[in-house]
Amino acid sequence: MNESVVGSISSIAGIKDVVPFLVKSSSETTQQTITTPMGDFTMSRPLYTITGVCLNSSFIDEYSVLPTNITAGRNLREGDSGVVLMSLNLSKYYGVGVGSEVTVNGTSFTVIGIYDQAGQNSMETRGVYMNLTDAQTVTNEIGNVSRLDLYAEDVSVVDTIYTQIQSMYSTEINSREISVSTYADRLANLQSQQTRYTELLNNAESTVAQTQSVATQEIIVALAATSLIVLFVMLYTVRERTKEIGTLKAIGFSSWSVMSQFMLEGVILSLAAGVVGIGIGAVGAPILSGVLLPAVNPFGSQGTGFQTGGFRATTFFGSSTASAVVTPTIMLLALGAAVLLGAVGSLYPAWRASRTRPAEAMRYE
Amino acid sequence: MSEAVSEAVLKTEKVSKVYTMGKREVRALSDLDLQVNKGEFVAIMGPSGSGKTTLLNVLGCLDKPTSGKVVLDGVDVSKLPEGELYKIRRNKIGFIFQTFNLLPYLSACENVELPMESTKRPKSERRQRARELLKLVGLSGREDHRPHRLSAGEQQRVAIARAMANDPAIILADEPTGNLDTENKYEVVRLLANLNINRGTTIVIVSHDSHVASHTERMLLLKDGRIAKEKQGLHLMKKKLMCPYCGSKIQPNDQRCPSCEKRL
Repeated sequence: MNESVVGSISSIAGIKDVVPFLVKSSSETTQQTITTPMGDFTMSRPLYTITGVCLNSSFIDEYSVLPTNITAGRNLREGDSGVVLMSLNLSKYYGVGVGSEVTVNGTSFTVIGIYDQAGQNSMETRGVYMNLTDAQTVTNEIGNVSRLDLYAEDVSVVDTIYTQIQSMYSTEINSREISVSTYADRLANLQSQQTRYTELLNNAESTVAQTQSVATQEIIVALAATSLIVLFVMLYTVRERTKEIGTLKAIGFSSWSVMSQFMLEGVILSLAAGVVGIGIGAVGAPILSGVLLPAVNPFGSQGTGFQTGGFRATTFFGSSTASAVVTPTIMLLALGAAVLLGAVGSLYPAWRASRTRPAEAMRYE
Repeated sequence: MSEAVSEAVLKTEKVSKVYTMGKREVRALSDLDLQVNKGEFVAIMGPSGSGKTTLLNVLGCLDKPTSGKVVLDGVDVSKLPEGELYKIRRNKIGFIFQTFNLLPYLSACENVELPMESTKRPKSERRQRARELLKLVGLSGREDHRPHRLSAGEQQRVAIARAMANDPAIILADEPTGNLDTENKYEVVRLLANLNINRGTTIVIVSHDSHVASHTERMLLLKDGRIAKEKQGLHLMKKKLMCPYCGSKIQPNDQRCPSCEKRL
């Protein structure tokens, strides 16, 4: 819309200030690939957003018209021209810093400051802020503004002003050239957005949780199976060696020493198996994770916004977004589990062995 | 060895052992009295089912009598709990089995060291003693052989060395020649007899082989769970270094009598 509306809206009773903005996409674009279950789609997106701000010092002081978290250089101030305030990620993308010359839509600007985009609306994460006039020039929108922020003298008159503007611009509003909203509307809008993001996040988290619970179940089954295998192997061993155990007792071994020997045997057996298992795991995990993990990656089919958000899916075996790796901690855990399961599994067989009657030494086989 | 020594190493008083098989009661030993003196070489004989093995189990603290008393080296073992019995088996008894019962994955030397395992002797001393004992039974140079690389006779000699390991008060042998051929049989009996003569080891063997039994000094015939008959054996003469066949003088290690040339 044309800047002339500023004047007509300013004249409405109860309006304190009218702050004009020009927000436009850059003419530079970037190719972005989105991964979906149906395949990868490539689309081009504007590289960043250009925001033109009326650098009136009373506006800057009173209203939040500019980003506040400046990480380098300084913020824009009244009278600035030919300079831009650039978002941190865009400056990293270009590899530029404070004082660098950058080209915005073909016009050269000096970077005067860098702001951290964290906390900003996701659409504006990559952006440059500049003088309104400069923005109108580079975007070829001389005399135009895209947004007006209206500040009322008192909260009580907001609704009256709202109705008044709606009636003044009814044609434009009906043709969707102009939309009017109060902070109440925008807050509601933001809240619904927040709800949506929270849902997405919850979905992602529940997928991770499901993966984890499946992994936990598998681990429990594996642990139970392990101790059962140790149990049966050791029971068989004890049975096979009844005569030998009887002999040991006949020549003077105590029940306790027989028991501890069989416990030790079970633990050593299990420990040896653990070492072999870790070896197989170390070699096999990267291969397996390549085959299995894309299928369980909870972010594969969801919005790109989340991936850039830095979430990582973590499962029991480590980070699944990268790969399942065998870390020293896991090796120690596995060895500890092997010792424990060996001990648990051979407890009963060892006890059985210790109860063997020494007269079994007399058996003929 | 003086015959005047009559100190009892092993004594039983009215020992009975009753097995319950279902509803039937089997009396394997009934009020058996037995005395074995220090330095004796005794054979217990009897047909199968006469209670030989049961008696040996009771004497060797492998099984407890139903009633009666077993006194071994001055200790009434019939009253001891299992927690104490293993020490008796370790320190006072040496066992020799019909099937040798060596541990297959241990060398001859390690098998002999086994009973010394839980004693306070240092490792080097145990090894030293095991080597000496293997030398005594004629197995020098075979210390590191595993049982499967030894002949049956050699395996039984390892077992004899093992039985000697803790210097027991008595050696109990269950059919020690049962799994041996004739040649090895005499070899083992002669070895036991020499241990008895040279070292004064008290030995009780259980055998149904009358020929083997006749080489001991006292034979006890077991029948229906009690001692039915007692006979003198050839070993009595040999102890006095006399040939049991012709009465001429012999040496302890002679295999045949120098005068009548009969096998000793």
